[in-house]
Amino acid sequence: MDVMSNVVYPVAGLLGLYAFVSLASLLWEGIDRKLVARMQRRIGPPIVQPIYDFLKLASKETIIPNTANYMFKAAPVLALATAIALLAYTPMGFEPILSGKGDVIVFIYLLTLISFFKMLGAISSGNPYAKIGAAREATIMVSREPAMMLAIFTIMWRIGKLGVDKPFSMRTFYQHNIWEIGTPMSFVGAVILLYVFAVWLASEIEVGFFNIPDAEEEIAEGLLVEYSGRYLALLKLTHSLKAFISASLVVAIFFPWGISGYFGLTGLSANVADLLFHTLKVFVVLFVVQSVFRAVTGRLKITQAVDFLWKNVFLASLIGSLLIAMEVIM
Amino acid sequence: MTEKVEYWVKIPFGPIHPGLEEPEKFILTLDGEKIVDVDVKLGYNLRGIQWIGLRRNYIQIMYLAERMCGICSFSHNHTYTRAVEEAAGIEVPERAEYIRVIIGELERIHSHLLNLGVLAHDIGYDTLLHLTWLAREKVMDTLEAVSGNRVNYSMVTIGGVRRDIDEKKRRAIEEMIKYYKEVFPQIEEAFLHDPTIEARFRDTAVISKRVALEQGAVGPTGRGSGIRDDARWSERLGVYPDLGIKPVMPQDVTGERPRGDVFDRMAVRIGELWQSLELIEHALDAMPDGPIKTFPKDNVLYAKLRLMVDGEGIGRYEAPRGELVHYVRGKKGSDKPLRWKPREPTFPNLFAVAKGVIGDQVADFVVAVASIDPCLSCTDRVAVVQDGKKKILTEKDLLRESIKKTREINPDIKGDPSPLGVGCVR
Repeated sequence: MDVMSNVVYPVAGLLGLYAFVSLASLLWEGIDRKLVARMQRRIGPPIVQPIYDFLKLASKETIIPNTANYMFKAAPVLALATAIALLAYTPMGFEPILSGKGDVIVFIYLLTLISFFKMLGAISSGNPYAKIGAAREATIMVSREPAMMLAIFTIMWRIGKLGVDKPFSMRTFYQHNIWEIGTPMSFVGAVILLYVFAVWLASEIEVGFFNIPDAEEEIAEGLLVEYSGRYLALLKLTHSLKAFISASLVVAIFFPWGISGYFGLTGLSANVADLLFHTLKVFVVLFVVQSVFRAVTGRLKITQAVDFLWKNVFLASLIGSLLIAMEVIM
Repeated sequence: MTEKVEYWVKIPFGPIHPGLEEPEKFILTLDGEKIVDVDVKLGYNLRGIQWIGLRRNYIQIMYLAERMCGICSFSHNHTYTRAVEEAAGIEVPERAEYIRVIIGELERIHSHLLNLGVLAHDIGYDTLLHLTWLAREKVMDTLEAVSGNRVNYSMVTIGGVRRDIDEKKRRAIEEMIKYYKEVFPQIEEAFLHDPTIEARFRDTAVISKRVALEQGAVGPTGRGSGIRDDARWSERLGVYPDLGIKPVMPQDVTGERPRGDVFDRMAVRIGELWQSLELIEHALDAMPDGPIKTFPKDNVLYAKLRLMVDGEGIGRYEAPRGELVHYVRGKKGSDKPLRWKPREPTFPNLFAVAKGVIGDQVADFVVAVASIDPCLSCTDRVAVVQDGKKKILTEKDLLRESIKKTREINPDIKGDPSPLGVGCVR
C-alpha cells in the first residue's frame, strides 16, 4: 500500500501530466502562430502544425557535426528530462505531485537548468553562431533571474507571515494568495510584481524584445543552429514545455483560483476540471505575454536587453517587493 | 615584456545566411559581440551578363539588362536605353519621357516598400514586414495593370516606350495614389515613431559624410549621410526638372541633422515614397499628347542603330538604390556594342557600410547590410579570380590560360592566336 501511494500514483500522475502538457503546449504553439498570423493579416498555419512539425522532425535524419562532442547528443535529452522532472513540481491547478519544504528553489533551479543544458549542447557543437547564441543566453539569463527571484521570495515570505506551515513551498499558493494580504500598499506592490513576472516570462520563452539568443536573422537560430532531426524535435518540445511551465508559475502566483469548488466536484474529476481551467488561464497569460508581445515588438540588442532587465525590471521588482514587505517591517 | 593577447574570433557571414537573401560572404572579425573588422567577398552570384551582352545586339541587350535584377529591372533597362540613345543621338518624344517617369516612380515605391519590410524583418518585427508588404501589393497590381507584368515590365525601348498609358491605366494609377495617401501615414508613423525601431536603428552603422564621400556612397545611403545628390536632379534628367525634383534629405523627414545611421537611410526612403507619389501625380497631369516612340517598328530601329551608333554614350539614372550608370560604346556598321558596362549603386555602398559597421555589434550587421538595400545579384557581374596563393589573375593570364587550354584540346590548330593583352574584342 505504501508502495502504491508513494511510487505508483506519483509516477502515473507524472506520466499523465507529461502527456497532457506536451499536447497542450504544442497546441498552444499552434494557436499562438495562428493568432499572430491573424494579427499580421496572414492566414497562418493550421493549429496542429507544431505537432506535425514534431512528428516530422522526429522521423528525419539527424546530422551530427564532426566538431561536436558527446554533450551535443546528451544535452537535448537532459533538457527534456529536466523539463519532465520540473512537471512534478509545477502547480497545475492542484497541488504539485512532489512537494516539500523549499521546493520553490528546486523549481527555479530546474527551470534554469534547462537553459543551461541548451547552452551546453550549443557550445559542444563547435559552431561559432551557436557560441554567440550561448553567450547571449548566459548574459540574458543572469540578468532576468534576480528580479524574479527577489519577487518570488518576497511573496513567499509575506504569505508565510499570514500563517502557513511550509512557507517556501508551491503548496503555499493553494492556501493563501497574494491578493489576500489586503492592504492598498500590497495591492500596488502586487500589480508591479505582475509586470515583473510578465517581463520575466517573456524573456524566459524568448519572444519579442528577448528573442535574442535564437535570433534567426542575425545568428541563424543561434543555439539551435547545428541541431536537426530527433534532437531538434526534443529541443522544440522542451521549449514548448518550458513556456507552459513558466506560465504556470505566473498563474499560480497571481491567478490561483480553482473552478472545482463552484461545481462541488471532488477527487479525480475535480483535478481534471482544475487542470483544464488552469490550462485555459495559462493560455490567456501566454496570449498577452507571448502573442501580443511578439506581434507588437521587434528584437533588442543584447546590451539594450540587459539594460532594460536591470534598470527597469529589477528596479520595479525592488519597489514592488519593498511595498509588499513594508507593513511587516514597520 | 608582455604581449597583449587579443581573443578575436572570425566568423563567416554567408554565403548562405538567413539574414542575407542573396549569396554574399562577409568575414567578420569579432571581439565578443563587437565587430572589429569586416572582409567583403563578392562574386558568388556571377552570371557573366556582361559577357553575354557583348554577343547580343542593341535591342536584345534591353531584355538582358532588365533581367539583371528583378527589383530594379526598369532602372537597368532605362539607363541602358539612355546610354544607347546618347551614343546614337536619338531624341525621345516628350510623352515617352513622362511615361518613363511614371513607371520609374512606381518602381521606386515598390522597391522602397520592399526594403522597409526587410529592415523590419531583420530586427524580428514581422508584423511591420507583413503590413508593409501588404501595402506593396497595390503598386505591384498597378504595374501589372499598366505594363502587363509584375516584374520585368519591358516598358522602355530605345527611342521611347513600348506601351501608352490610356484612360483605363490612368484610372488604375489614380486609384493607387488614393490608396497610398491613406496607407503612407500609417507606415510613416510605424517606422518613424516606434520605440523598438528607434532603439535598433538609431546610431547603428553610422557612415559619416567623409567616409561616404571617400567610398562614393550613392542613393539613400549617401543622402542619409548628408550628401545632397540625386542623379535625377544633378543630371537634369529628362522631364524631371519640369516636375520640380529635388533630393530628399533625412532632415526633411525627421527634422534633425543627418547622422548617417540606419534610421536616416530609412527616413530618406520614407520621404521618397511621398515624393514619388507627388511626381506621379504631376506627371499624369502634365503629360502631353503625341507619339510614344521615335521609331514605330523594331526592324527600323535595328537598321537605324547599326548606322547611328558611333562612339560612346553614358546613361545615368537614380535607381531606387542609388545612382546607376551604364556605359555603351559602339561602332558604325555593327549591330553589337563593343563595350557595355553597367555600374551598380550597391557596389560602393557595400564598402561604405562595411566601414560604417566597425565598432557595432553582431546584431547590427544584418540591419546595416539591409539598410543600403543591397542588390547583390546586380553587383556580381565581374569575378575576381584568385588561386590558393591569392594571386589576382589579370587579363593576360586568363588569355594565356585559354590559349593553353585550346592547344590542349585541339593541337592541330592553325595560325597564331592574337597577341596577348589586346583584350576581348570580338
